[in-house]
Amino acid sequence: MHAIVQSRIFLRSAVLEIILVVLCVALGVTAPGFLSTDNLLNVLRNVSMQGVIALGMTMVIIAGEIDLSVGSMVAFGGCLTAFVTGWLSTGVGFPMPVAIGTAITLTLVTGFLVGCFTGLMRTRYQVPSFITTLALLTGLFGAAELITNGFPLTPFPEWYNFIGGGYLLGIPFPALIFLLAFAAVQVLMNSTSFGRSVYAVGGNAEAARLSGIDVNTVKTLVLAITAALAAFSGVMQSSEIMSGTANTARGWELDIIAAVIIGGTSLMGGIGRVWGTMIGVIFLGVIMNGMTLLNVSEYWQHVVRGGLILTAVLINRLQAKSS
Amino acid sequence: MKPSTHILETVSLRKEYPGTVALCDVSLKFNGGKIHALLGKNGAGKSTLVKIFAGAVQQDAGRILLNGIPIDLRSPRDALRQGIAAVHQELSLVPALSVAENILLGRLPKRKRGGGLIIDWDETFARAQNILDTLGVTIDVRTRAGELGVAQQQSVEIAKAMSYDPAVLMLDEPTSALAHHEAERLFDLLRTLAGRGVIMLYITHRLEEIHKIADTVTVLRNGELIGTIGIGEATPATIVQMMFGEAVQKTRPPNVRAHRDPIMEVRSLTRTNTFEEITFTLHKGEILGIAGLLGSGRTELLRSLFGADPHDSGDLLLDGAVVSPSSPVQMKSLGIVLSPENRKEQGLIQMLSTRANVCLASLSRISRGGFTTRARERAVVDRNIREIDITVPDTEAAVSTLSGGNQQKVVVAKWLNTKPRIMLLDEPTRGIDIQAKQQMFQLIRDLSDRGISCIVVSSELEELMDICHRILIMKMGRIAGEMLPHHSTLKELFALCMQ
Repeated sequence: MHAIVQSRIFLRSAVLEIILVVLCVALGVTAPGFLSTDNLLNVLRNVSMQGVIALGMTMVIIAGEIDLSVGSMVAFGGCLTAFVTGWLSTGVGFPMPVAIGTAITLTLVTGFLVGCFTGLMRTRYQVPSFITTLALLTGLFGAAELITNGFPLTPFPEWYNFIGGGYLLGIPFPALIFLLAFAAVQVLMNSTSFGRSVYAVGGNAEAARLSGIDVNTVKTLVLAITAALAAFSGVMQSSEIMSGTANTARGWELDIIAAVIIGGTSLMGGIGRVWGTMIGVIFLGVIMNGMTLLNVSEYWQHVVRGGLILTAVLINRLQAKSS
Repeated sequence: MKPSTHILETVSLRKEYPGTVALCDVSLKFNGGKIHALLGKNGAGKSTLVKIFAGAVQQDAGRILLNGIPIDLRSPRDALRQGIAAVHQELSLVPALSVAENILLGRLPKRKRGGGLIIDWDETFARAQNILDTLGVTIDVRTRAGELGVAQQQSVEIAKAMSYDPAVLMLDEPTSALAHHEAERLFDLLRTLAGRGVIMLYITHRLEEIHKIADTVTVLRNGELIGTIGIGEATPATIVQMMFGEAVQKTRPPNVRAHRDPIMEVRSLTRTNTFEEITFTLHKGEILGIAGLLGSGRTELLRSLFGADPHDSGDLLLDGAVVSPSSPVQMKSLGIVLSPENRKEQGLIQMLSTRANVCLASLSRISRGGFTTRARERAVVDRNIREIDITVPDTEAAVSTLSGGNQQKVVVAKWLNTKPRIMLLDEPTRGIDIQAKQQMFQLIRDLSDRGISCIVVSSELEELMDICHRILIMKMGRIAGEMLPHHSTLKELFALCMQ
């Protein structure tokens, strides 16, 4: 009897994981080559750049905020890295590794500061992060176009491709970074006082403030960390395609928010798991990969993805209701 | 409809929730034209009964009859249609809409010409005004509900319920947010309604109110009907006996001690239009009460002392050093903490677990180098649960599943973990049952014995008389007087507050 209850609790808490496993088995049977190591690693590589941002987005949404500018930040980050690299190496004459190192650092700091700006608007002037980041969505895209003047910048040497396209111990390097970022955010959210404050702030900002938690700092920090992660994703992206291109990563914000929501995080704030986001990200990656292998048209892929988001949220709601 | 013809009956009403029987074969009969008090400690089943009558939940077995006719209540809308209206403890007016719109919400009269789409404002205001007039309530129907005080909002809620012309009106703890004179006015209103033949069900935790307002007293315990008695037989001892099975009423222990060492001095603290020139001294280990009506500035004063709201002028001296409260973060670090008036929305984060809430304010103390572990947090929580006797079936379950009394203890536990020196308690006993109240009083006395000073704000003067060493009386934002409970009577305190 006890065992049945136990297994029912397990089933309920692991619905998404179970569906994912079933999906993988089904694709293994129907889609040629899906279960090959190469293909699975490929899936992981494909989701890693969005995945890194989704981890940050999870914190932002748990804190009761949103960031719509992450896609543009990826494009902007890539272009800024390319521009600064080109300028420092050919313009100033720095050795290439120094130029690239400086460019990446500058990009990350810029991303962080942009996130701080969103946080400042939110906490000091009560401008919703939805609005500020909506403005940044176009603003940063425009800035990327200004930097590149509309053409891809290609200042990078061959070895730069390693960050976004290389392999380490047979595993795609971006995938390793994704896993590393997952571990870091997981620890941050579950095992630090900061992470616990994020849940509190998103659950009830006024009660958190009256508990002596610095709500403004918490909100600003999660926004800043996420913007910095998006900027870093931009660096990886520029490395993968070996250029700084303004017209990249458009619409990523929707994929990323979808993955977070599929993972069970509540848009109302206060509820969510980093692990859930990890599953959500992989889930979307597997679906896309499977459909490509099965030769499903791209138009249908979009429709399926839309249906998937709704289904996942519906399952979450039904679970919340029944428990 | 003739008065006093209404009769509400239940026959073997039963409701189970997973793990508990909330109502066990309850058969009741309520007559019209009377006010029926419904009593029981938290979890006794009275909320379930009220929810069933209101159509919010459905019974598993049994029948409900109104005037002898079985009625089926599948939704709140059903209940209203059948003539059962409820005024809940949490007020639910739409703040941005006018009083008239709130009263007639969902049923706004439309103009004849306009295809039934255009609102007839003249008719709306006239109809709402008419309803308020018959109740003897003087509120401008064009005022936005958000601009009204709590007492007025409650009158509007009652008007809204009465606009359905119900046979049954249920009131859940209607006086919990009201000051003494406001409650008296509410009672007048309720008597008027009862005089019209309406069946009034009155749920309360305040025993002393029952004799003022109720005609009969019905007590539930552990989901079972214990009995219904006339108000003449309902002595406090009888009621407590019915509610708890055994008498548990405690009397004040003699803990009169001299408090000589000042810990906090407040000098001319002023927040314009809220409170002015507040000056007093708090001593180490002292329990200082603040009595005053709703709107006297007592809640706002506590919030400013805690740095949650700004102040305009004046000083705060802690151990003789001047401090300017600017944020809860700062005051927490100085050892001044606040248990806010509204425990549900401000004191706790309802969706988080009991463990998370208990650790909320002391995360930096519990963690080492910024890192915390579940095991370390659980050790803290377990100690709290033991020390102040909180009933928590599962520390990982959302804190919203706890009863009001236990939630209040969680708020106190949260702050105890920050090693406070001064605890500001705003209405710490609101909406909790007698037993939990007694435990809360004991807890406050224990804090005092440990040298932690407390400032307690309460609308219940009897409570302040019971636990405080000294009571300040606030009136219209100023301190109007001071009294020592040991040398005065409740009557004198009432007089000081009301005059």
